[in-house]
Formats: sequence, C-alpha cells, structure tokens
Amino acid sequence: MEHLFYLGTLIAVWIIVALAANLVIGYTGMMAMGQAAYLGVGAYVAATLNILLGVNFYVALLVASIASAVIAAVTLLPLLRIGGFYFALATLGVNFVFFDIFHNLGPRVEGSEGLYGLQLPGPFAFSGPRFATTLAIAIVCVLLCQRVVASPLGRALRATRDRPDALAALGKDPRRYQMIIWTLAGALTGLAGGLYAATLFYIDPTLFTLDASILILVYIGVGGLASTAGSVLGVILLIAFNESLRFVGLPSQFVGPLQQAMYGLLLIGLMIFRRRGLVGEYDFRE
Amino acid sequence: MLASLLQVFSTGLGLAGYYALVAVGFALIFATLRIFHVAHGTVFIIGGYVFFGLHRLLGVNIFVSAIAGVACAGLAGLAIDKVVYAPVLRRGGGMFSVFIASLGAALVVEAGFLAWTKGVVSVARTGMLDIFIVGDVAFRALDFSIFALVAAAFGALYLWLYRTSSGLEVRGLTDNADLAAVVGVDVRRTRNSIFLVASLLAGLAGVLTAYDTGLVPSIGFKMLFIGVVAVILGGVRNILLGTIIGATCLGLLTAFAGFFFPEWITFTIFLIMIVLIIFRPQGILG
Amino acid sequence: MTSGNSGLRIDRLAMNFGGVFVFEDVSIEIPPGKVTACIGPNGAGKTTIINIVCGVFPPKAGDIFVDGVRLTGVRPFDTVRYGLCRSFQDVRIFPFLTAIENVLVAMPDQSGEGLAGLFLPRARAQERTNRDHARRLLQAVALESAAERPAGELPFGQQKLLSLLRAVATGARVLLLDEPATGVENDLIPRVVDLIRDLVKAEGRATFLVEHNIDLVRQVADQVCVLQGGRIIAAGDVRRVLDDEIVIREYLGQVYDA
Repeated sequence: MEHLFYLGTLIAVWIIVALAANLVIGYTGMMAMGQAAYLGVGAYVAATLNILLGVNFYVALLVASIASAVIAAVTLLPLLRIGGFYFALATLGVNFVFFDIFHNLGPRVEGSEGLYGLQLPGPFAFSGPRFATTLAIAIVCVLLCQRVVASPLGRALRATRDRPDALAALGKDPRRYQMIIWTLAGALTGLAGGLYAATLFYIDPTLFTLDASILILVYIGVGGLASTAGSVLGVILLIAFNESLRFVGLPSQFVGPLQQAMYGLLLIGLMIFRRRGLVGEYDFRE
Repeated sequence: MLASLLQVFSTGLGLAGYYALVAVGFALIFATLRIFHVAHGTVFIIGGYVFFGLHRLLGVNIFVSAIAGVACAGLAGLAIDKVVYAPVLRRGGGMFSVFIASLGAALVVEAGFLAWTKGVVSVARTGMLDIFIVGDVAFRALDFSIFALVAAAFGALYLWLYRTSSGLEVRGLTDNADLAAVVGVDVRRTRNSIFLVASLLAGLAGVLTAYDTGLVPSIGFKMLFIGVVAVILGGVRNILLGTIIGATCLGLLTAFAGFFFPEWITFTIFLIMIVLIIFRPQGILG
Repeated sequence: MTSGNSGLRIDRLAMNFGGVFVFEDVSIEIPPGKVTACIGPNGAGKTTIINIVCGVFPPKAGDIFVDGVRLTGVRPFDTVRYGLCRSFQDVRIFPFLTAIENVLVAMPDQSGEGLAGLFLPRARAQERTNRDHARRLLQAVALESAAERPAGELPFGQQKLLSLLRAVATGARVLLLDEPATGVENDLIPRVVDLIRDLVKAEGRATFLVEHNIDLVRQVADQVCVLQGGRIIAAGDVRRVLDDEIVIREYLGQVYDA
C-alpha cells in the first residue's frame, strides 16, 4: 500500500512536469530538451532551504518555484534569437551545465552523493497524506493549464508555434509569448522539483541528467503533444508500464536497460508512425 | 608547471585524434544530409565492443578483431540509416523527427550494451602499455600508433573526398543538395557511402579507445557531444580542416580541464557550445 | 494606432539586392478610403515594395510615411502599432488554429494574452465581443460554416480569404494586400471584391493592392500604378491607366487573366 502511494505521488509529480513541458513544446513549439535542469533547480532550492536553513516546507516550495521561474527566464533570454534546431541543442547544453552545477556546488550530506533529511509538515509527512496533497496540487496545475490553453494567450501560443513570422506581421512579437510560457513552465517545473524531493526523500544530481529530460519528452510524446489529457495519460501509462516490468522476473540489472530500450523504441516508433502521440492535437512537420 | 603543460599537450593531442575521427564523420553526415546523427556515438561503441568481444573475450587475433570491429561499425551506421531514418523521412518527418528517432536508436543500442557489460569498464588490451619518459613527461608507444592511424585515416579521407568522383559527389552535396540531385548525383548511392565512411571512422575511434582506456556504454554519448562541439567550433565550410581544428582545440581543452579542474569539464564544454551557438554558429572557419 | 488618417506615402524608394537592381525612384500615394493597385510583370519588385514598407528589410534609398510619421526601417511587428498591416502572397495562416481563431488572434490589445489578464473578468467580456466581431467578419465572406475547422484543412482559396480577414481584423488603417486573388477559385473572387469594397473602403482604410488579376483591379481599385523595368511607368486613375496605349502594349498584352 505504501508503495502504491509512493507510485501515485510520483505520477502526480511527473504530471506537473509533463504539463509544463507540453505547454512549451506542444503548444508553443519550442524544442526544449533540457527541462530536467529546472526540475533540479526546484528540488535543490527546496531541499537546501528546508534541510540546511530550516525553512518551512511550504515556503521552500514557493521559493523553489519562483527561483526556477527566474532561472528559466534568464537562461531563455540569450537563446531567444536562435531558431529551432540550434535552440534544441542549446537547451540540451543548459541541462549539462546545470548538472555540473548541482554536482559541484549542490549541498550534500557528509559521505554521500546527495541530500536528504527533509522536514515535512503534516500533509506531506506520511505517504498517504503526501499522495493526496501532491495529487491535489497536480489537479490544480491541470486546471491552470486548461485555463491557459483555452484563453487568448493559448491561442497566441499556438500561433507562435505555427507561424511566428505571420504572428509578427499581425503586430504581436512571438518572443514575448515564448518568454511568458517558458517562465510559467519554469515555475511549474520548479514546484514539481520541490515535490519530487519530498517524494523521494533524497535527491542527487543524477536525477536531473539528459536521461530525465528525454523521459519528459517520451511522456508527452506518447501521451500527445498540445494536449493536457495527453500529458496526464502519457505519464500514467508509462510509469505504470515501467512498474509492471519489475514483475516480469528479470534480474535487477536488466530492468534499467530494458526500460531504456523501451523508451528508445517508443521514440523511434512515435517518429515513424504517430508523431502526434495518443491524443495529441499537434503533428509537427519539422 | 612546464612539465604538466607538456603532459596536457601530449594527452590533449591524443584525445584530439579520437575526437577528430568521430567529429569528421558526424560533420560529413550533417553537412550533406542535414541529419543530426545522435546515434553516431553508438556506432563508435559498437566498433569498440565488437573488438573487445573478439579480442579480449574470445582471443581472436588483434588485427582481425580490429578490422571486424571497424567493419561492424560501418555496417551498423548503414543499418541505422536504412532501418530508422529512412522510414521517418518517408513518412514526412523533418530534421527534428530524425533527431528524436536517432536519440531513440542510441538509447536502444546503449541499453543493450549496458545489459551485457553491467556497466563495467571493458578494456580490450590484454597487456601493459609501453611507456617511455622524456624529462618529466610520460609518452606511450600507443600514442604514436594512434597518431599514425588517425593521420592515415584522414589522409585516405582526403584522397577520397578530393581525388575520386564519389568524393566529388559528396562535396557537391555539402554545397547544395538540391542542385546536386538535379545535376545527376546519385543521392542514394552517395548517401550510403557517406554513412559507411563516417561510421568506419567512428568505428576505428571506438576500436582504439577500447584498446586504450576501455569503454563504458555511456562514452558513446560523450564522444558524440564532443564531436558536435568540435564541428560547431570548426564549422562545416571546410569539413576536414574545420573538424581537425575543432577536435584539436577540444582535445587540448579536455586535457587541460582534466588536469586542473576535472569536475567542471562537462560544464566548460557545454558552455562553450552554447556560447558558440548564440554568437557564431558557423564556427571559427565558417 | 496613430490618430491621424492621411494614409501611406511611399517616397522615392530604391532597392537592390547585393547589386542586383530591383527598382528606383518609386513614389506612390495611398490615400485613405481608396484602393491603390500596383500591377507589373513578375519579379518587378511589387512584393519587395510591401516587404520594405512592412520593415522586413530597409530600402537602399527613400522613405515611408504613415499619417505623416516616418516609418522607414521599423521592425515588422511594430508596424501594426503604427497602423500598417499586410497579407502574404503565400497565405501563411496558422494551420492548427481554427478559422475563427485565425481571425481572433489578429485582434489587438487582448488582455487575455497576458498571464495577469487571464483571470480578469474584463478579459472574458473582451473575448465575447471579439468573437462576435470575428463571426461577423467570417459571415461577410461566407466562411462562417468553416469557423471551427482547422485552417490547415481548408482549400487554398478559403485560406486566402481568411488571411485577408486576418489583416482586416488587426484594425490597421493601412492595408497592404499581396496578390489577394492569386490562387483563389473563380467563384470565390467576388468575395474578395466584396471584402475589399465593403469592409475596407467603407471603413475609410487606405488599401494598397498588388495584383495580377486585371479584372479584380478594374472592379475595386480607384487608382493604379504600373511597375516595370525598375520604375513606375504609369500611375493615376484606374480607367485612364488601364486604357492607356503604352500600358496595354508594354504590359497588359502579356498578361493572362487569372
């Protein structure tokens, strides 16, 4: 039961991450390949504040979210001028740059690679309530995303994705919308990072590598681009399927590689057969 | 101090050899076919692991194993193009779709090796390396062999590109793919030669690395990204010269960083890549 | 949006691309409430004029004035603020937005386009008004049945109409339409005529039209200029110019009606 709550909490956390990534990639067409960096920023800020400075967890979460949003905005600024493919490469670079920052500057507990010892308040302290609270936060995030997507802002985002030059010709600067949504996604991902730290109770830099960013792509790729339902669906399906692999009876050293091979095959399959994913609204032709 | 710098220089040049072999292949494919061949790194490790398997595990003669390794890498590169990229392109996928599919292929192959080797370093060399000391600097006999091999490989590549008709067709593709097709360049046959040659070079680098320092599956991605930065540094205007310059710079840089600030190597390399992308994506020579 | 309304003035524009001469000494007056057409052979530089006016690239010489304000070299997305808007020859609608969304996204000053405005009741009211306006625009060209369809699925002619509506929806006082009839099926051309006449001229906007379809030019334009050989060879009242012998010989003789 404990484990089911854990899984559920993990799903809720990744749903928030996937929602944010889909806003940026699926709705706005920005090829973000390094979202794990912002997840890490959120996790490390929240954990550091809470464990090392004794800050109340709610406050730590809030600060983590804001910090992540600010860092997202700052890292996007120099990249706004570069297009499509080089942009993707640059975000990948940002992911690696932050990995070293976490690895070299991130606080850690003596004798280990990571950080643990979060002081969690009531609603987060035990696995059951933690699941309920995180799920509630995830639901709020889903509603927020729905609101954004259905609004004039959502419309402008999709126009930015479809033909930024035409949008500019109508008097609206696509970069403004890119900055808005990237910052919002940063805030959501940072929030998820703090919740992630609470769920795992332990964080280290290896959680925020390129592998994690690719995982995010797989979640929204499978679920569907430009679809809130897709973000939720992709996460649930894949985490559930992943879990089921543990019961197949393989020796533990094969489970990791098997999961990785599965993600690889999914990516290939998606690119060949169904770029819009399960319930996606956008089929990129790039 | 001088001795350390000389050691850095010597190590750096050695590394530059490997980087150049991988980078030039990647540059060829990218410049002519506009494919971001992430799986090039896996071709590298396939060459190395085949060599390791034959020579170290099965005791096959070193030269036969090496040739087999290089050949398998060449075939693997071709196979990836036919099995993964061609279907994506046929279904209307663009550069980004191919990139993601390439990522998927790389993940699958890497997972296979992870499962096989359980992450342990695999060194193909069975004996000790001959080392001789000049002053305070240690040189390895192996370095001379590597230098000779890399020089020979580049020499052969130069001859192919500039003295043969198929090389001419490849250079034509670099300049203008549409025009080349109109003028009668057999794009499909040239495409095969490009993938084959690029993969043979990567396979050679893999074999040498397996012999020298050994392989872990993740080195595939590492070599790929270094290759990418080398290509961005050197530009694709003059592929041979550009990648040699880029690879040499990076070789020296990684050696220098490895000596003086090893924890920040990844950070430095990717920061350089981001800066280059923002300010001078056409490279030093572009 | 500028408050005055004296239209667009193109003053002695000259352009070349890296030494390849395009045109020089091009001066055109585009007054409000009238349609000014520009005709000429392919490659004469008509679209280049629009590109320069809209800030895609600066001219080698000459100036652009909108309502007396010098606008030369203003960036593309700023030009709408000064009252200019263009349509594209190759349409460029947003394929994954529905037809009505294509029109809606063009409307300026939407408070719902910012994060703060997302929750304001004002944004919702504004959206309702905008939707009504967009629907009326679609009705004017008989496209309201396609309102909820993704624009990418519409036939080219309807997409062209949609892109014209989009330019109109920005509320710009000066419209630059690049070949609005090219690629449009013959039975839809009357809708283009209606759009330009009713929505545009009736509201007093200044309209600059680049076209190959002489029939359309005859039906909607008040004045026309002929760009050929790198300069304006004739300009003035549409009937007078189109009947002019020189123009007929030099240019109209080579034109196939669209």
